[in-house]
Amino acid sequence: MEHKIKRGVSAYSYNKVFGVSMDLDDIMQDICDTGATGIEILANSHIVKYPDVTDAWIDDWHQKLTHFKLEPAEYGHWVESRLYKGRELTTKESIAMLERDFKTANKLGFKVLRTKLGVIDDTLTPVSNWREFIKGALGLAEKYDVRMCPEIHSPTILDSRMIHDYVEFIEKENTEFFGLNIDFSIFQTGDNALVGFGENDFLGPPCEHSKVEELVPLLKYVYCCHAKFLRMDENFREVVIPYEEIIQTLIKHNWEGYLISEYEGAKAEVTGHASDQVKRHQIMLKNLLGK
Amino acid sequence: MLEKECIQSRGFKNTVVDQEVVGFQFDIRLMYYRGLWLSQIRSIHIKVDGEAVRLEDISWEINGKLYKQDELKEIGDIQWNVLEPASIHVNVLGGLTTGYHDIEVDYRFSSSYMPPNMDEVLSYGNHKRKLLLVS
Repeated sequence: MEHKIKRGVSAYSYNKVFGVSMDLDDIMQDICDTGATGIEILANSHIVKYPDVTDAWIDDWHQKLTHFKLEPAEYGHWVESRLYKGRELTTKESIAMLERDFKTANKLGFKVLRTKLGVIDDTLTPVSNWREFIKGALGLAEKYDVRMCPEIHSPTILDSRMIHDYVEFIEKENTEFFGLNIDFSIFQTGDNALVGFGENDFLGPPCEHSKVEELVPLLKYVYCCHAKFLRMDENFREVVIPYEEIIQTLIKHNWEGYLISEYEGAKAEVTGHASDQVKRHQIMLKNLLGK
Repeated sequence: MLEKECIQSRGFKNTVVDQEVVGFQFDIRLMYYRGLWLSQIRSIHIKVDGEAVRLEDISWEINGKLYKQDELKEIGDIQWNVLEPASIHVNVLGGLTTGYHDIEVDYRFSSSYMPPNMDEVLSYGNHKRKLLLVS
Protein backbone atom coordinates (compact mmCIF):
# COMPACT_ATOMS: atom_id res chain seq x y z
CA MET A 1 0.00 0.00 0.00
CA GLU A 2 1.29 3.48 -0.89
CA HIS A 3 2.31 5.65 2.03
CA LYS A 4 4.52 8.57 2.97
CA ILE A 5 6.12 7.24 6.11
CA LYS A 6 9.88 7.65 6.37
CA ARG A 7 12.50 5.93 8.47
CA GLY A 8 14.79 7.87 10.80
CA VAL A 9 17.02 7.20 13.79
CA SER A 10 17.60 9.18 16.96
CA ALA A 11 21.23 9.82 17.82
CA TYR A 12 20.04 9.33 21.42
CA SER A 13 20.04 5.58 20.72
CA TYR A 14 23.84 5.64 21.00
CA ASN A 15 24.01 7.86 24.08
CA LYS A 16 25.81 5.39 26.33
CA VAL A 17 28.75 5.16 23.94
CA PHE A 18 28.69 8.73 22.60
CA GLY A 19 32.11 10.25 23.18
CA VAL A 20 33.44 6.90 24.42
CA SER A 21 33.52 4.76 21.27
CA MET A 22 31.41 6.78 18.82
CA ASP A 23 31.41 10.42 17.78
CA LEU A 24 28.69 12.20 15.79
CA ASP A 25 30.27 11.16 12.47
CA ASP A 26 30.22 7.51 13.54
CA ILE A 27 26.57 7.82 14.55
CA MET A 28 25.63 9.40 11.22
CA GLN A 29 27.55 6.71 9.33
CA ASP A 30 25.69 4.03 11.30
CA ILE A 31 22.33 5.63 10.53
CA CYS A 32 23.26 5.99 6.86
CA ASP A 33 24.16 2.30 6.74
CA THR A 34 20.60 1.35 7.76
CA GLY A 35 19.09 3.15 4.78
CA ALA A 36 17.22 5.53 7.10
CA THR A 37 16.92 9.01 5.64
CA GLY A 38 16.38 11.12 8.76
CA ILE A 39 18.24 11.89 11.96
CA GLU A 40 17.13 13.20 15.31
CA ILE A 41 19.69 14.99 17.44
CA LEU A 42 19.34 16.29 20.96
CA ALA A 43 20.42 19.91 21.13
CA ASN A 44 22.40 19.71 24.32
CA SER A 45 23.95 16.36 23.55
CA HIS A 46 25.08 16.53 19.96
CA ILE A 47 25.78 20.24 19.50
CA VAL A 48 29.16 20.09 21.20
CA LYS A 49 29.31 23.62 22.63
CA TYR A 50 25.57 24.10 23.14
CA PRO A 51 24.03 26.64 23.55
CA ASP A 52 26.82 28.19 21.49
CA VAL A 53 26.74 27.12 17.88
CA THR A 54 29.28 28.62 15.51
CA ASP A 55 28.88 29.18 11.79
CA ALA A 56 31.70 26.68 11.27
CA TRP A 57 29.76 24.01 13.20
CA ILE A 58 26.63 24.73 11.20
CA ASP A 59 28.53 24.47 7.90
CA ASP A 60 30.09 21.22 9.03
CA TRP A 61 26.65 19.86 10.03
CA HIS A 62 25.21 20.54 6.59
CA GLN A 63 28.22 18.93 4.95
CA LYS A 64 27.78 15.86 7.12
CA LEU A 65 24.10 15.62 6.17
CA THR A 66 25.02 15.68 2.50
CA HIS A 67 27.85 13.20 2.94
CA PHE A 68 25.75 10.70 4.90
CA LYS A 69 22.60 11.30 2.82
CA LEU A 70 20.49 12.29 5.83
CA GLU A 71 17.93 15.00 6.42
CA PRO A 72 17.13 16.69 9.73
CA ALA A 73 14.05 14.86 11.07
CA GLU A 74 13.66 16.05 14.64
CA TYR A 75 15.46 18.31 17.09
CA GLY A 76 15.14 17.43 20.77
CA HIS A 77 15.18 20.27 23.28
CA TRP A 78 13.92 21.09 26.75
CA VAL A 79 12.08 23.76 28.66
CA GLU A 80 14.03 23.17 31.87
CA SER A 81 11.36 24.40 34.26
CA ARG A 82 13.30 23.53 37.42
CA LEU A 83 16.40 25.30 36.13
CA TYR A 84 16.75 27.11 39.45
CA LYS A 85 16.16 25.21 42.65
CA GLY A 86 13.05 26.24 44.55
CA ARG A 87 11.09 27.89 41.75
CA GLU A 88 9.75 27.23 38.27
CA LEU A 89 10.70 29.22 35.18
CA THR A 90 8.44 32.14 34.42
CA THR A 91 6.49 32.31 31.16
CA LYS A 92 8.93 34.89 29.82
CA GLU A 93 11.97 32.79 30.72
CA SER A 94 10.38 29.72 29.13
CA ILE A 95 9.69 31.57 25.88
CA ALA A 96 13.29 32.81 25.80
CA MET A 97 14.51 29.24 26.24
CA LEU A 98 12.24 28.08 23.40
CA GLU A 99 13.32 30.88 21.08
CA ARG A 100 17.02 30.10 21.53
CA ASP A 101 16.35 26.55 20.30
CA PHE A 102 14.03 27.66 17.48
CA LYS A 103 16.86 29.76 16.06
CA THR A 104 19.39 26.94 16.28
CA ALA A 105 17.00 24.32 14.92
CA ASN A 106 16.18 26.60 12.01
CA LYS A 107 19.86 27.09 11.14
CA LEU A 108 20.40 23.33 11.26
CA GLY A 109 17.42 22.64 9.01
CA PHE A 110 14.97 21.09 11.48
CA LYS A 111 11.23 21.71 11.11
CA VAL A 112 9.96 19.34 13.80
CA LEU A 113 10.98 19.70 17.43
CA ARG A 114 10.61 17.25 20.27
CA THR A 115 9.82 19.83 22.93
CA LYS A 116 10.20 18.37 26.38
CA LEU A 117 8.30 20.18 29.11
CA GLY A 118 8.90 20.19 32.84
CA VAL A 119 6.38 18.15 34.83
CA ILE A 120 4.67 18.55 38.18
CA ASP A 121 3.48 15.06 39.13
CA ASP A 122 3.89 11.30 38.66
CA THR A 123 1.61 11.17 35.61
CA LEU A 124 3.87 13.76 33.92
CA THR A 125 1.34 16.61 33.91
CA PRO A 126 3.19 19.60 32.39
CA VAL A 127 3.93 22.77 34.35
CA SER A 128 0.88 24.94 35.02
CA ASN A 129 1.93 27.81 32.71
CA TRP A 130 2.53 25.62 29.62
CA ARG A 131 -0.40 27.16 27.73
CA GLU A 132 0.90 30.67 28.32
CA PHE A 133 4.45 30.06 27.13
CA ILE A 134 3.51 27.78 24.24
CA LYS A 135 0.95 30.32 23.07
CA GLY A 136 3.54 33.05 23.53
CA ALA A 137 5.98 31.10 21.36
CA LEU A 138 3.62 30.20 18.48
CA GLY A 139 4.50 33.33 16.51
CA LEU A 140 8.20 32.64 16.97
CA ALA A 141 7.73 29.03 15.90
CA GLU A 142 6.06 30.27 12.72
CA LYS A 143 8.86 32.78 12.16
CA TYR A 144 11.52 30.07 12.48
CA ASP A 145 9.39 27.44 10.72
CA VAL A 146 9.44 24.87 13.52
CA ARG A 147 6.71 22.74 15.14
CA MET A 148 6.83 22.09 18.88
CA CYS A 149 5.84 18.54 19.79
CA PRO A 150 5.76 17.38 23.38
CA GLU A 151 6.68 13.73 23.64
CA ILE A 152 3.82 11.48 24.72
CA HIS A 153 5.70 8.83 26.66
CA SER A 154 4.73 6.17 29.20
CA PRO A 155 3.40 6.39 31.88
CA THR A 156 1.20 8.90 30.03
CA ILE A 157 -1.76 7.29 28.25
CA LEU A 158 -3.74 8.64 25.30
CA ASP A 159 -7.06 8.63 27.13
CA SER A 160 -5.93 11.26 29.61
CA ARG A 161 -6.42 14.81 30.74
CA MET A 162 -3.03 15.73 29.30
CA ILE A 163 -3.87 14.65 25.74
CA HIS A 164 -7.31 16.21 26.02
CA ASP A 165 -5.72 19.52 27.09
CA TYR A 166 -3.16 19.46 24.27
CA VAL A 167 -5.81 18.75 21.63
CA GLU A 168 -8.09 21.43 23.04
CA PHE A 169 -5.20 23.91 22.89
CA ILE A 170 -4.33 23.03 19.28
CA GLU A 171 -7.96 23.36 18.21
CA LYS A 172 -8.53 26.60 20.09
CA GLU A 173 -5.37 28.22 18.72
CA ASN A 174 -5.97 26.65 15.32
CA THR A 175 -2.22 26.16 15.04
CA GLU A 176 0.07 23.87 13.09
CA PHE A 177 3.06 24.94 15.18
CA PHE A 178 2.22 22.78 18.17
CA GLY A 179 1.52 19.07 17.81
CA LEU A 180 2.42 15.71 19.28
CA ASN A 181 5.33 13.30 19.19
CA ILE A 182 4.04 9.83 20.00
CA ASP A 183 6.56 7.60 21.74
CA PHE A 184 5.65 3.95 21.22
CA SER A 185 6.42 3.19 24.87
CA ILE A 186 2.76 4.06 25.45
CA PHE A 187 1.72 0.94 23.49
CA GLN A 188 3.93 -1.55 25.34
CA THR A 189 2.12 -4.88 25.77
CA GLY A 190 4.92 -7.20 26.91
CA ASP A 191 6.40 -7.45 30.37
CA ASN A 192 9.68 -5.64 31.15
CA ALA A 193 11.09 -9.01 32.21
CA LEU A 194 11.27 -9.92 28.50
CA VAL A 195 13.67 -7.05 27.89
CA GLY A 196 16.41 -8.22 30.25
CA PHE A 197 17.24 -4.92 31.88
CA GLY A 198 20.35 -4.80 34.08
CA GLU A 199 20.59 -3.37 37.57
CA ASN A 200 21.99 -0.06 36.30
CA ASP A 201 19.18 0.56 33.82
CA PHE A 202 16.59 3.09 34.87
CA LEU A 203 13.06 1.69 34.78
CA GLY A 204 9.86 3.52 35.53
CA PRO A 205 7.30 1.82 37.78
CA PRO A 206 4.78 -0.54 36.11
CA CYS A 207 2.02 1.47 34.45
CA GLU A 208 -1.05 1.40 32.25
CA HIS A 209 -0.67 1.49 28.46
CA SER A 210 -2.85 2.60 25.54
CA LYS A 211 -4.43 0.62 22.72
CA VAL A 212 -3.05 1.36 19.27
CA GLU A 213 -6.53 2.19 17.90
CA GLU A 214 -6.78 5.12 20.34
CA LEU A 215 -4.13 6.87 18.26
CA VAL A 216 -6.31 7.12 15.13
CA PRO A 217 -8.32 10.25 16.04
CA LEU A 218 -5.10 11.97 17.16
CA LEU A 219 -3.04 11.28 14.04
CA LYS A 220 -3.78 14.65 12.47
CA TYR A 221 -1.89 16.29 15.35
CA VAL A 222 1.11 13.95 15.20
CA TYR A 223 4.14 15.34 13.34
CA CYS A 224 6.62 12.69 14.37
CA CYS A 225 6.79 9.35 16.16
CA HIS A 226 9.46 8.04 18.43
CA ALA A 227 9.65 4.43 17.33
CA LYS A 228 10.77 3.41 20.81
CA PHE A 229 12.19 -0.07 21.15
CA LEU A 230 13.52 -1.93 24.12
CA ARG A 231 14.76 -5.18 22.61
CA MET A 232 14.95 -6.56 19.09
CA ASP A 233 15.38 -10.31 18.91
CA GLU A 234 17.42 -12.20 16.32
CA ASN A 235 14.36 -12.57 14.11
CA PHE A 236 14.00 -8.79 13.95
CA ARG A 237 10.94 -8.65 16.20
CA GLU A 238 10.46 -6.17 19.02
CA VAL A 239 9.70 -8.25 22.10
CA VAL A 240 7.34 -5.94 24.07
CA ILE A 241 5.86 -3.36 21.64
CA PRO A 242 3.21 -4.37 19.04
CA TYR A 243 4.91 -2.94 15.97
CA GLU A 244 2.93 -4.77 13.33
CA GLU A 245 -0.33 -3.30 14.58
CA ILE A 246 1.15 0.18 15.02
CA ILE A 247 2.63 0.38 11.52
CA GLN A 248 -0.47 -1.11 9.87
CA THR A 249 -2.58 1.50 11.64
CA LEU A 250 -0.34 4.36 10.52
CA ILE A 251 -0.37 3.17 6.90
CA LYS A 252 -4.10 2.50 6.86
CA HIS A 253 -4.87 6.01 8.08
CA ASN A 254 -2.43 7.71 5.71
CA TRP A 255 -0.21 9.14 8.39
CA GLU A 256 2.82 10.98 7.01
CA GLY A 257 6.07 11.64 8.76
CA TYR A 258 9.16 10.19 10.35
CA LEU A 259 9.32 7.07 12.46
CA ILE A 260 12.44 7.63 14.50
CA SER A 261 14.13 4.56 15.95
CA GLU A 262 14.93 5.23 19.56
CA TYR A 263 16.73 2.49 21.45
CA GLU A 264 16.18 2.49 25.20
CA GLY A 265 16.99 -1.08 26.16
CA ALA A 266 19.65 -2.95 28.06
CA LYS A 267 23.42 -3.17 27.47
CA ALA A 268 23.48 0.18 25.69
CA GLU A 269 26.96 0.77 27.10
CA VAL A 270 28.38 -2.37 25.43
CA THR A 271 30.41 -1.46 22.34
CA GLY A 272 28.39 -2.03 19.20
CA HIS A 273 25.23 -3.21 20.99
CA ALA A 274 23.05 -0.16 20.29
CA SER A 275 24.27 -0.13 16.66
CA ASP A 276 23.22 -3.75 16.26
CA GLN A 277 19.84 -3.14 17.88
CA VAL A 278 19.19 -0.10 15.66
CA LYS A 279 20.02 -2.14 12.55
CA ARG A 280 17.63 -4.89 13.62
CA HIS A 281 14.92 -2.31 14.27
CA GLN A 282 15.43 -0.66 10.91
CA ILE A 283 15.20 -4.06 9.19
CA MET A 284 11.85 -4.60 10.93
CA LEU A 285 10.57 -1.15 9.97
CA LYS A 286 11.70 -1.67 6.39
CA ASN A 287 9.84 -4.98 6.25
CA LEU A 288 6.67 -3.54 7.77
CA LEU A 289 6.73 -0.39 5.64
CA GLY A 290 7.71 -2.18 2.46
CA LYS A 291 10.57 0.28 1.88
CA MET B 1 37.57 10.39 23.53
CA LEU B 2 36.29 9.89 27.05
CA GLU B 3 36.85 6.91 29.29
CA LYS B 4 33.54 5.25 30.07
CA GLU B 5 34.04 5.66 33.83
CA CYS B 6 32.85 8.87 35.44
CA ILE B 7 36.24 9.62 36.97
CA GLN B 8 38.77 10.01 34.19
CA SER B 9 42.36 8.89 34.60
CA ARG B 10 43.64 11.77 32.48
CA GLY B 11 43.79 15.07 34.32
CA PHE B 12 44.69 13.79 37.82
CA LYS B 13 47.48 16.00 39.13
CA ASN B 14 48.47 18.44 41.82
CA THR B 15 47.44 22.01 41.12
CA VAL B 16 50.26 24.52 41.07
CA VAL B 17 49.61 28.25 41.40
CA ASP B 18 52.55 30.67 41.55
CA GLN B 19 54.93 27.75 42.06
CA GLU B 20 52.98 26.58 45.09
CA VAL B 21 51.00 23.33 45.25
CA VAL B 22 47.59 24.55 46.38
CA GLY B 23 45.65 21.32 45.93
CA PHE B 24 44.90 18.62 43.43
CA GLN B 25 42.47 18.13 40.57
CA PHE B 26 40.85 15.34 38.58
CA ASP B 27 38.39 15.16 35.71
CA ILE B 28 34.89 13.73 35.79
CA ARG B 29 32.54 13.31 32.87
CA LEU B 30 28.82 13.92 32.88
CA MET B 31 27.08 10.59 33.40
CA TYR B 32 23.97 11.74 31.55
CA TYR B 33 22.96 11.80 27.92
CA ARG B 34 22.48 15.55 27.66
CA GLY B 35 24.38 18.59 28.87
CA LEU B 36 23.32 20.43 32.00
CA TRP B 37 22.81 24.09 32.69
CA LEU B 38 25.17 24.75 35.59
CA SER B 39 22.25 25.62 37.89
CA GLN B 40 20.90 22.08 37.40
CA ILE B 41 23.92 20.74 39.30
CA ARG B 42 22.62 20.38 42.84
CA SER B 43 25.38 18.86 44.99
CA ILE B 44 28.72 17.09 45.04
CA HIS B 45 30.38 14.87 47.65
CA ILE B 46 33.99 13.76 47.37
CA LYS B 47 36.13 11.37 49.37
CA VAL B 48 39.85 10.98 48.88
CA ASP B 49 41.49 7.92 50.43
CA GLY B 50 38.34 7.45 52.47
CA GLU B 51 38.24 10.97 53.87
CA ALA B 52 35.43 13.38 53.02
CA VAL B 53 36.40 16.70 51.44
CA ARG B 54 34.72 19.85 52.79
CA LEU B 55 32.38 21.52 50.30
CA GLU B 56 34.13 24.88 50.67
CA ASP B 57 37.37 23.27 49.47
CA ILE B 58 35.82 22.11 46.19
CA SER B 59 35.65 24.06 42.91
CA TRP B 60 34.31 23.03 39.51
CA GLU B 61 36.29 23.97 36.40
CA ILE B 62 33.97 23.97 33.40
CA ASN B 63 35.09 25.25 30.00
CA GLY B 64 38.16 26.75 31.63
CA LYS B 65 36.31 28.71 34.34
CA LEU B 66 36.33 27.96 38.05
CA TYR B 67 33.10 27.94 40.07
CA LYS B 68 32.27 27.28 43.71
CA GLN B 69 29.20 25.12 44.33
CA ASP B 70 27.29 28.21 45.54
CA GLU B 71 27.97 30.05 42.30
CA LEU B 72 26.66 27.24 40.09
CA LYS B 73 23.10 27.60 41.33
CA GLU B 74 22.71 31.05 39.76
CA ILE B 75 24.11 30.18 36.30
CA GLY B 76 21.30 29.13 33.98
CA ASP B 77 22.84 30.04 30.62
CA ILE B 78 26.11 28.09 30.55
CA GLN B 79 26.25 24.35 30.00
CA TRP B 80 28.40 21.51 31.18
CA ASN B 81 28.52 19.79 27.79
CA VAL B 82 28.41 16.02 27.44
CA LEU B 83 31.79 15.64 25.74
CA GLU B 84 33.62 18.09 27.98
CA PRO B 85 34.85 16.68 31.32
CA ALA B 86 34.71 18.99 34.33
CA SER B 87 37.87 19.37 36.37
CA ILE B 88 37.23 19.11 40.07
CA HIS B 89 39.70 21.14 42.12
CA VAL B 90 40.27 20.37 45.78
CA ASN B 91 42.11 22.89 47.95
CA VAL B 92 44.60 21.17 50.19
CA LEU B 93 47.95 22.80 50.78
CA GLY B 94 50.74 20.60 49.48
CA GLY B 95 48.39 18.49 47.36
CA LEU B 96 48.64 14.71 47.33
CA THR B 97 51.69 12.44 47.44
CA THR B 98 53.02 10.52 44.45
CA GLY B 99 51.27 7.16 44.22
CA TYR B 100 47.79 5.66 44.08
CA HIS B 101 44.79 7.39 45.61
CA ASP B 102 41.17 6.29 46.00
CA ILE B 103 38.78 8.90 44.65
CA GLU B 104 35.02 8.78 45.28
CA VAL B 105 32.53 11.19 43.75
CA ASP B 106 28.78 11.54 44.03
CA TYR B 107 27.15 14.49 42.30
CA ARG B 108 23.46 15.20 41.75
CA PHE B 109 21.52 17.17 39.20
CA SER B 110 17.93 18.10 38.51
CA SER B 111 15.90 16.92 35.52
CA SER B 112 12.66 18.84 35.02
CA TYR B 113 10.90 16.21 32.92
CA MET B 114 11.00 13.72 35.78
CA PRO B 115 8.30 13.83 38.49
CA PRO B 116 9.36 16.29 41.24
CA ASN B 117 9.82 13.50 43.79
CA MET B 118 12.30 11.90 41.36
CA ASP B 119 14.00 15.20 40.49
CA GLU B 120 17.55 13.89 40.96
CA VAL B 121 17.00 10.17 40.37
CA LEU B 122 18.78 10.09 37.00
CA SER B 123 21.97 11.33 38.66
CA TYR B 124 22.17 8.62 41.32
CA GLY B 125 25.47 6.82 41.41
CA ASN B 126 28.54 6.75 43.58
CA HIS B 127 31.62 6.71 41.39
CA LYS B 128 34.94 5.29 42.61
CA ARG B 129 38.31 4.93 41.00
CA LYS B 130 41.91 4.36 42.04
CA LEU B 131 44.15 6.81 40.24
CA LEU B 132 47.92 7.20 40.03
CA LEU B 133 49.37 10.60 40.73
CA VAL B 134 52.83 11.50 39.42
CA SER B 135 53.07 14.99 40.81
